[in-house]
Amino acid sequence: MMSEKLKGNLDMLLLAVLAAGPGHGYAIITRLRDRSEGAFDLPEGTVYPALHRLETAGLLDSAWEVVAGRRRRLYRLTAAGQESLAAEAQRWRSFTGSVSQVLRGLATQPSAIRPAAL
Amino acid sequence: MSDMRDLPAGSEPVEEYLDRLLLTLSGPPRQVRRTLAEVEAHLHDAVAEEIAAGKSEAEAEQAAVARLGTISQITGRPLQFGRPTAALLRRTALAGSLIGGIALVAVGVSGAIGWGLAALRGGTFLVAPFPQGSYTRSDCARWLAGDPSTHSCLTAMTADHVGEVILNSFAAGLLGVLALSAYGWMRRRWQDRGTLTALPIGSAEAVGSILALIVAVGTAGRGINLELVQNGQGAGEMFSLTIGALAAATFFIVRLSRLSLPYRIRS
Repeated sequence: MMSEKLKGNLDMLLLAVLAAGPGHGYAIITRLRDRSEGAFDLPEGTVYPALHRLETAGLLDSAWEVVAGRRRRLYRLTAAGQESLAAEAQRWRSFTGSVSQVLRGLATQPSAIRPAAL
Repeated sequence: MSDMRDLPAGSEPVEEYLDRLLLTLSGPPRQVRRTLAEVEAHLHDAVAEEIAAGKSEAEAEQAAVARLGTISQITGRPLQFGRPTAALLRRTALAGSLIGGIALVAVGVSGAIGWGLAALRGGTFLVAPFPQGSYTRSDCARWLAGDPSTHSCLTAMTADHVGEVILNSFAAGLLGVLALSAYGWMRRRWQDRGTLTALPIGSAEAVGSILALIVAVGTAGRGINLELVQNGQGAGEMFSLTIGALAAATFFIVRLSRLSLPYRIRS
């Protein structure tokens, strides 16, 4: 269920992870898992098509660099990527704020979610 | 997430995964190499992490592969079985245009050979004349109009048929050149590994050489039969096609041997 929800927001999450600094695929997935405290434990291979897609869209750029003795593709956020991330984050906050407003009543009245027949 | 089944002795999950990924990836060669290199580095990192967590190397490799997910999750599109992939369609178009192009050029070559045979042994060696009674006076008049140098209906008919056979052969040869040009254009455009490996390497050459040899044997047999039974009338067309088919078979066999040469050197 979490993976399904994650799919639609993976691009934004990858941009957010890279906003903290450049990283290669494995480091990005590790950061994503750590920052979500293990909640976003998606199949690791899914990040690569997403990273390639974001690079094609001009939101990331990448280059080969040797990190810890191994040649890796390092991804960096571009200026367009920073703008896109800011816009996406704003939309996400607005969306989650609205959802929270709707759910607020339920949180304080647990009985409200019980089916009427019970 | 990891699937900790017992591993068969000697299995190398990481190497096997990378082999399967290489065979599945399509796109420009640089993109294929990049994805493969990224995934290989990723797997080595994951294996190191799993070993640091206390797993054996074999278990760590299996866990790293399981964490990565399916091949289609890396390629970004689901694997589709049961219907031809775009790469297979492209590869089939390449094979078809090569075989078809060479076959048509071979027909064109046979037309030139037939022309020579008709000059050497007469037009009736290339084309058998229609039997008497099967054509009308108006047919004769039309053939004679096309060849004012003769008053013989048989000679005019033969000359007309020879011209027709040679013209059709040359037209086929021209179409073959166009098909081979299309092949060259598509070959330059579709250099991705997925397309080139969608069919076994050398399959077009193998199919082409087999088809050409079948045509060569069939037309040679028919030509010999015409030579023996009909005093050679029409045998020239068959023999010229035999020579064209043998030339095509030689072309395909030479290509095939060049493709397999590196393997022979290694072995």
